[in-house]
Amino acid sequence: MGPQVPLITNYLTQHFLDDAAVGLEGYERLGGYAALRRALENSPADLIELITSAGLQGRGGAGFSTGLKWSFMPADGELPKYLVCNGDESEPGSFKDRILMERGPHQLLEGILIAAWATGAEKTFLYVRGEYERPAEALERAIAEARARGIVGTNVCGSDFAHDIVVIRGAGAYICGEETGLLESLEGKKGQPRKKPPFPAQYGAFGRPTTVNNVETLCHVPHIVNNGADWFRGFGTEKSPGTTLFGVSGQIARPGLFELPLGTPLDELVFEHAGGPAADQRVKGVIPGGLSMPVLPADQLDVPMANEFLRERRTMLGTGGVMVMDERTCMVRASVVIAHFFRDESCGQCTQCREGTGWIHKLVERIERGAGVMEDITVLEDICAKMEGQTICAFADAAAWPIQGMLRHFRGEFEAHVVQRRCGFAESFEL
Amino acid sequence: MPRISVDGRIIEVPESRTILQALDETGLLMAGIDVPHYCWHPKLSIDGSCRLCQVEVEGMPKLQIACNTPVADGMAIRTRSERVCSARQGVMELLLVNHPLDCAICDQAGECKLQDYAFEYGADASRTREPRRALKKNVELGPNIVLDQERCILCRRCVRFCDEVPATGELHVMGRGDRSVIETLPDEPLANDYSMNVADLCPVGALTTRDFRFKVRVWFLDDVPGVCTGCANGCNVTIGVSKNRVYRYQPRRNDAVNDTWLCDRGRLSYKRIGSGDRLAQASLRGTASAREPVSCGTAVAAAAARLQQLTDAAGAAALVVLASPHASNEDLFTLRRFCDALGVTARGAAVVLGPQDRLLMKAEQAANAEGARRLGFGPPDALLARVRCGEAAGALVFGHDVLDPAHLGGPEALTALETLVVVDLQDSALARCADVAIPVRHAAEREGTLTNFAGLAQRVQPAVEPGWEAWTDGEVVWRLGAALGLAGFEGAYDVRSVSRELAQAVPGFSGIDLDRVGEHGLSLAGVGS
Repeated sequence: MGPQVPLITNYLTQHFLDDAAVGLEGYERLGGYAALRRALENSPADLIELITSAGLQGRGGAGFSTGLKWSFMPADGELPKYLVCNGDESEPGSFKDRILMERGPHQLLEGILIAAWATGAEKTFLYVRGEYERPAEALERAIAEARARGIVGTNVCGSDFAHDIVVIRGAGAYICGEETGLLESLEGKKGQPRKKPPFPAQYGAFGRPTTVNNVETLCHVPHIVNNGADWFRGFGTEKSPGTTLFGVSGQIARPGLFELPLGTPLDELVFEHAGGPAADQRVKGVIPGGLSMPVLPADQLDVPMANEFLRERRTMLGTGGVMVMDERTCMVRASVVIAHFFRDESCGQCTQCREGTGWIHKLVERIERGAGVMEDITVLEDICAKMEGQTICAFADAAAWPIQGMLRHFRGEFEAHVVQRRCGFAESFEL
Repeated sequence: MPRISVDGRIIEVPESRTILQALDETGLLMAGIDVPHYCWHPKLSIDGSCRLCQVEVEGMPKLQIACNTPVADGMAIRTRSERVCSARQGVMELLLVNHPLDCAICDQAGECKLQDYAFEYGADASRTREPRRALKKNVELGPNIVLDQERCILCRRCVRFCDEVPATGELHVMGRGDRSVIETLPDEPLANDYSMNVADLCPVGALTTRDFRFKVRVWFLDDVPGVCTGCANGCNVTIGVSKNRVYRYQPRRNDAVNDTWLCDRGRLSYKRIGSGDRLAQASLRGTASAREPVSCGTAVAAAAARLQQLTDAAGAAALVVLASPHASNEDLFTLRRFCDALGVTARGAAVVLGPQDRLLMKAEQAANAEGARRLGFGPPDALLARVRCGEAAGALVFGHDVLDPAHLGGPEALTALETLVVVDLQDSALARCADVAIPVRHAAEREGTLTNFAGLAQRVQPAVEPGWEAWTDGEVVWRLGAALGLAGFEGAYDVRSVSRELAQAVPGFSGIDLDRVGEHGLSLAGVGS
């Protein structure tokens, strides 16, 4: 039994505590691959309809409708068509896909095979983050088992449907989690997002029609096929059905993974499930969805964790990576860390992103050192505004939003650094 | 054809194009409708990364990059709205965050798109207080190109050029984010035959040619349209001239000939114009072997006297005429009339063959080999056989291509003749042994038309004046004809009337007229038609 197990489980993670359920035998004993067999009896169009009516949203950060995405694939036409499973999980604060791959590899494979059937893909590239050695091994093992049993291969579960799954290891770049950056990397090129149009459903991996789905997204699929759209809609909110895996980390008593319905209030997640901050501390701010999402201050945590509510507070669910900071944290210093990350990871194609991420980092770093002037704060806001929504991919937004969030809710701290010409906090972490 | 509206102006554009492509093809881009851009280039794949060409498209919430947004019928585009201007200003500011702003010592100053657009679309003042990137300067990427990494704005045109046009792929973006730099791999220098095009493509002063850098400020240069004379392709060039000196050739766009490219060899062939080996003085061979310098008029008179003597003694059949494949159509037509009037049938043109490729480089190393053929100066083999076996008594030779190993391999066979008159650009072994040597003008020093390998007649015009007395091949021939008293060579030589006569007299050239050829050439009817 590995130490990394969910602290609260639901349908996705219910057997993750059980070592015997990881392998194919255990998975099938618990009813595994029944959904796949059922799916193969249905038409791809029916499956797309089922997933669309279930309202499954992509769990990779953007929250796009999975059924709609599948429907973009040309229904007929020349093969090959591909499915890509995005297991790059590079968003800081996010570690759900790792557990899903390590502890439930067959659940993922079943989701992949159903999605492949629905989208007419003949092959899946399962792109796993470079650092994820154990998940990649678990998947390789599971694929070998499934292939030996005829679940993956020329006749999936005895049907005429042929499908192969290949694990591809990334090399550790954040941008390779962006779907077209991933496709470039998959093709052996430098990980740089592609301009759109064309979209992956027209021109994807190796120029072929391709659907790219996140690991968690695909893990939900067998459960929807088994239990139906209405059952799925029994979890979560009207607009955001299902559960999701919240990864809670930071200055918190019980960091870990929590499978909870979407719409679970953030304060409930932080204070009840994750145990709140240390005894003598108070929460200062919480990043609700991975490093790229704007922070929420302590007085705005009474928000259901679903995009329709989070948007009202000018943030998003992202990948559900919840990062808690208590009052020892200097928000300017935290901003330096964020800015450094995005400066380091920008692929460098688009002007705004390449130059903006560097400038933001230099600016916040200077403010943190006590060498900033008031105008720097205005300039910072302005650069962020000029990066937003103007680049090939959403990376520039991801780099600008968290800084905008910090300035929105903690502007006073930035100003204090300028006025006092120093950081007023004890160094809580090294830069 | 879709109709789109740009800033309220309705235009018809070709189908299946992006906004920038459509504007480019309708000739409006930066010529009526300004959509500034860096990474986009009409002859390279779309990159979409500089983000400067963002425009507002009605019905789309975000600004769209004009380079990659397909046009659609009824599309309404705004290129000057406040949102567009603000976005452009943002891009310009960010591009300048790390730029060294060393315009005072930068060769690109004056033709720099960063300068131009910063002036046109940028903010008045800089807000950056941060240190700029310190990167490698004066990096020799290959024999012809020098890189300054600090000035680079990473539009990656150079990278795409190497990947897509010569398909040699020497240039790469190394590193990510604001550490991105253009580099070559160790032991893989930028040494393809077209490498210098990256300096034209580079919108800033990051890539410069080793040949041109620091020679002259570009605002001192006059740009004269011309044609490269390096081979039969006839690539269109802009000749950069200052104080009667040619400093460079740059490719001039002609989609039917050279797109926007030029091979390095052709580009550097401008050096022949001011080269020290030019034949700069008419001369006669005296009684001793020494050359006696004379005026061109004296040389022509001496040549005429010798030719008269020869034809009187042995008849026109004893004279062979080798035309120059570097001469203009008008020159060659004049020579053809001269031969007709004199009764010379042994005519031809020797052409030197060199390397060719699938892009621009043609085997024939002369700008008007095709024109020579079309005007009756074909392969010289039979004629040269007559020279070798002593059937000829004299030769009137234009150029020295005949010295090539594929033809005579040396001057001996010709110098053995009783009379040798050489009319040439360069002071070759042939001119040195000629009885009469007469200098002529380079294509960049004269009016005329040249016919490229595909039968496209293209105009050349004087960019510089030679520093010595020299006429065109045609005028030399004209004066020879006049001195010999031949019919049709009365009065002064006038290239325009020759051009008109050529159009009337030679069916394949009908319609050709110096002033009708235009800046992109005029296609001649096929041979014999």
